[in-house]
Order: sequence, then structure tokens, then C-alpha cells
Amino acid sequence: MQQTYTTRRNSGNSFARNHNTVRHTKRSLGSISQIVIVSMLTLIFGLIYVAESTKATSFDYEISKVEDEITEMNAKKDDLAVEKARLNSVATAKNSTVAAAMEDATVTGYVAD
Amino acid sequence: MSRTNYQHLVTNPAVSMPRRIRILKNIVLIALAIILVRLFFIQIVEHDAWVAKADEAHTLLETIVAKRGEIYMMDDGEPVPVVLNQTTYQIIIDPAVTDKEGIKHALETYAKDYTVVDLDEVYDTEGLRYSIVAKNVPRDMANKIAEENIGAVWFKKNNQRVYPEGEMASGLLGFVNSDGLGQYGVEGSLNGELSGKDGLLKATADVNKVALSIGKDNVKIPAEDGKNVVLSVDRGLQKGVEEIAIDAVNSSVATNASVLVMDPNTSEVLAMANLPNYNPGDYGNVKDASAYVNYVTEVPYEPASICKSFTYSAALNEGAMTADTTYFNEGYEIVDGWKIQNAEQRASIYGTISMKTALYWSLNTGSIYALKLLGGNPAAITQQGREKLYNYYYDKFRLGQATGIELFEAEGYIPDPNEGWGRDSVYANMTFGQNLGITMIQTATAFSAVINGGIYHTPTIVKGTLEDGELKTQSQVEVVEDQILSPETSASMRDMLVNNRNYKVRDGTDKYGYAVGGKSGTAQVVRNGVYDDTYAELVGSYIGFIGPEGELPKYVIMVKMWGEGQSVGSGDAMDLFDKLSNYAINYLKIQPKA
Repeated sequence: MQQTYTTRRNSGNSFARNHNTVRHTKRSLGSISQIVIVSMLTLIFGLIYVAESTKATSFDYEISKVEDEITEMNAKKDDLAVEKARLNSVATAKNSTVAAAMEDATVTGYVAD
Repeated sequence: MSRTNYQHLVTNPAVSMPRRIRILKNIVLIALAIILVRLFFIQIVEHDAWVAKADEAHTLLETIVAKRGEIYMMDDGEPVPVVLNQTTYQIIIDPAVTDKEGIKHALETYAKDYTVVDLDEVYDTEGLRYSIVAKNVPRDMANKIAEENIGAVWFKKNNQRVYPEGEMASGLLGFVNSDGLGQYGVEGSLNGELSGKDGLLKATADVNKVALSIGKDNVKIPAEDGKNVVLSVDRGLQKGVEEIAIDAVNSSVATNASVLVMDPNTSEVLAMANLPNYNPGDYGNVKDASAYVNYVTEVPYEPASICKSFTYSAALNEGAMTADTTYFNEGYEIVDGWKIQNAEQRASIYGTISMKTALYWSLNTGSIYALKLLGGNPAAITQQGREKLYNYYYDKFRLGQATGIELFEAEGYIPDPNEGWGRDSVYANMTFGQNLGITMIQTATAFSAVINGGIYHTPTIVKGTLEDGELKTQSQVEVVEDQILSPETSASMRDMLVNNRNYKVRDGTDKYGYAVGGKSGTAQVVRNGVYDDTYAELVGSYIGFIGPEGELPKYVIMVKMWGEGQSVGSGDAMDLFDKLSNYAINYLKIQPKA
């Protein structure tokens, strides 16, 4: 706490005649200062909140973008799976050039025959 | 004293101003009052509705659609997909705005096979502002059309079921309708497992409907994807069976055929065909809805003489007869005043013949005699005989009741042995498969028990599920393994059923080294409450088994062929069975007895 030195003559006290007295007083902010400080703090916290919200939102956009990419990749994966299944289907295999060159296997021979 | 005229004061603007202000003030007050009342309504009375509107504006609420499970068949011991999912698009235009030449060129270049309208007609239709011009367009092609940047063209996303095998097994697989619900076949009966459970996303969103994490009431419940179901059906066998059956239908008067191939030792279904097939991906264009029906499980019918196998099994198992037991065959029986004749009337089989011979010639008098023996009186059908036959048909062979297979199925019916008129004649007919209604799956499962050593297994068509590429086998049916016949009864039945086809070995149809047995059935059609004796329409059936000689059978094949107004005899069905049994021997690599 700061000390404030006040020089004054105390005429009512003979013991203290011509002596400087010391009085301790509190130094407080004025009401305008308080309003300004509270406003500033509010503004700062507000800005921090907005900054954090914006940061979170930017992550949300990133997440959304990644999710879209995942959806697109899954769609491509499904397309490829369908194409693979079509290529491996019995009808496709049967009509393939490889199958056309194969011999008829309707008669299977076994040793016991 | 002159009177002062104050008239001028009334019209003096300086004096009239306060009144106008008052009026203005009143107007403002009234306006304020209106605003206050309105605010009261908005804030208090209609509070919830306005909050809901506000939420709607900035809240994203959408269903996270679960991915529908895929369906697999087996091929060389590995699951192979037969039903898959694919994202496709509908292309929509506004003919009043969309550039005709632009969209025409784009469709012809990228989506010619998917165009569903005549563009000239669309553009000639006055006042038309909305037209779906292409359906089921694959994603990459839709992307290319989008890159053309034609104005007023919209793309609507669809999740489409894809059937890479085309029409194969359509009656078994079923289809998924436009609401995403499985209909008929496996798609219908296992819709719950296949469809999974949709999730939910509720979040604060921006104007582009991008979900933001800043909301305090955000909710995300992930979707549970449907299970990938693996059927026990062998894809190659299914294809081969269908091709052979199509040939058989085309070369006969039949218009329809159903085929069931089953492992009799487990009752696992290996092939299930219903012809004619249809394209499940284009189910809406099927003209006859009966094509959707799975006749193997959903339609009870009279398999006719096939049921003699069950009557004989009952009498054998009760010790009432043996294959060599004899009776006097007159060619007919009179029961309850009805004359029941044999179809086969050749002279050589009149007189005293064995039950084995009666089965070979499929004599109705033989199976009626077995019923008499079941009742303990060779001279007449008795209550005891009827009750015993009912016990075997309904309780042991489980005919006339749902089997529990993972498909839609009908129950059918077995007549009560005591309630109703003419029980003796009803049961006499029942011994050779008339006056009852049973499905092919019931018949084949019961027949499997007859020839597999006497054990009834619950039929199944689901092998398990595919999780992360790994097959997890799990039964979805209540497994029943019930010894309903003695092994001796079963062995005797096998001998008699093989004896039925001995001539097939001699004529080269069946191969040496194999035990191929079977029984035919030709069912009359009921017209106006009685059997049509003109035989103008008949349903032909055949059931048989295949295995190495001296061993338990490996496969049971059941065939049914019919056509409305067509006389399809069991000969047609037997011819089809012959081809199928030889195909199965080759395809399934069944080795003959060494």
C-alpha cells in the first residue's frame, strides 16, 4: 500500500506541534475507469470466444470436407466392387474368350468308371 | 362593444398543431400497442412455434442412412457377392429452361443406356417444367454430365441395389422397392438384418447446411449398417441348374419350373430356382406378379405320388411291413364309395405283388395297403391307421407346417384324421399325396430324413454373415436334429428308391458306381371341388437323391414343372431330374464307389 504524506499543522495537539503526521488512505479507481476496464475485459473475452468459435468452425468445415471425401471414396469403392462382381459373374465368365476356348467338360471320368 | 371573432384562431396553424401531435401520438401509441400485442403473441402465445422455426433455420436434422447389407452365395468355398449397393443418379431437367441440344448431347454421350424418355416428346409437351430424363446413371457418368455445366439440370442421388448375376435366382433373392424395403425372397424375409438401423444427426448448421460443433444440443447417433448375409447356395450350381431347367421348360409344354437342391445330411439349400426369372433391378416391368413368388417355400401343393415315400416310411418304421410284404393288387380300391384307381394298369402287375414292386410302379393301391397295415387291419382303413399316418406326416415329417427356413413360407395343411366327412377316402388319397397341401421345401426336407438315416434337420439357406471379409457361420434357424426314422427304415427306403431307377442305369441315364434313387409324382388339378379326371392340366414332380454307391446320399434334388392349362406329367420332371443329377455329379465332383 502506498503511503501518502500530508503536511498539516495540528493545532489541537501540543505534543504534535510542528510535526508532520502520516495518514494512510486507499487509492481507488474512479467509476469511469471501472466501466472502461470491465468493457475492455468483456471485449477481450468476447474476442477470445469469437476467435475460438471461428477456429472450431473452421475445423467443422475441415471435418465436413473430409467426410465428403470419405463419402466419395466409399462411392468409388462401391463402384469398383460392382464392376469386379460383374466381371466375375458366371455369365461374364461363361461368355469370355477364355471360356470359349475351353473344352466341354460334361463327361467326367473317374478311375472306377 | 364589438364581439371579438375567434374564428380565425381555429384555423390558425399555430393553434391546431397540438391536436395533430395528439393524433400522431395516438397513432404511434396504437402502432406500439399493435406491436406489443404482436410481440406478446410471438413471445408468449406462439413461443414454441417460433422457436421451432428458428431451430429449423439453423439446425441440421438429417437421417444417417444405414448401408444395406450385401448378399453373397458360395463359390468354391468362398463367398461371392450376388447383390451389392451402388450410388446412382436420376437426371432431372426443366424443359422450359434447360438447353435441349446441350442435354441431348450429354445424354447421348454419357448416359444413353440410362435415358428413360424421348427428349423431343418432353420438349414438345407444353407447360412441362419437370422431367426425369435418365435413371440409375452411374456416378462417374453423372459427374461427366455435371461437368458440362448445362443450366437447370439436377441430379438426384439414389442408393441402388445391383444384381451382377442378372436374372439368376431372382425368385430366391427378391428385390428392394423404391421405399428401400426388401420385397419377396431373401431381400424381403431378411429385410431386418439387411437394412440395419438408421442413425441421426442433429446439429447447428451454417447456411450451407454444414454441421457446426458450436451448438449445445448437437446429437450424432451413428448408423448401424445392415449385415452382409451369406447364403448356403452355390452360385455355379445355381446357374447350371437354372440353365438346364430353362432348356427343359422350353422343350416341354410347361411354362414354369421350380428346382431345389439340398444337402440331405444338413438340410442346407444348395440351389433354389423358380422359372421364369425376372430382372430384380427392373422389377417394375414384370408383367406377371406371380414371377415374384418363391414356389419352393411359399406355395403349398399336392406332390402326389412322391408322398408314397412317406407312407411307406411310416409303415416300415412301425414294423407293419417290409419291402417284400405282399398284397393283392386289383388295380383299384373302393373307399367311402369312391373308386381309387392306379394310373398304371398293365396286366403283369395284377395279383399278388410286393410293396417294393408297388412303389416301382407307383401304385395307389400299394400305398393304401400300407395305410391299412399301419392301422393293424390289412382289410380296412382304421382310425388307428389314420392317426398313425397323421403322426408321421405332421409330427415327424413336419409336413403342413412351416419349416423355419429363413424365407417367407406357407404352412400348408394336413387333414385331421378324425374330424370331417370321409376320413378314410381323404387319408387313402393322402397316402399318395392328394387331399393335402405341402410345400416343396417341406417335401424335400422330409424326404432328406427318409434317405439320410432317418434324421430330420431344419432346412436352412443362410450360412452366416460376412464381417470384414471373414465368413462368420451362425445359424439363424432353430436347429432341430430329430431321429424320426430308424436307420434300418431309411436304408430300406433307399434300396426301394434306387430300385425305382435301376432301369435308368441300364439305359445309360444314370452312371454306374452311384446310388441314384427317386420318386415321381403327377398331381391332378382340382376343378370345381373335384379332381379333374380329364388330365387336361397336370403338375409334374420328381424327387431323388445322389451319392456314391453304398454311402449316404450327398444331394437331394426336387423338381416341379407346371403350366396353366397344360398337362405336364412326371415324365417331364423326371427328364429334368436326370439332367440335373448328372450335372450335379460332375459339378460337385461326386466320386463313384471305388
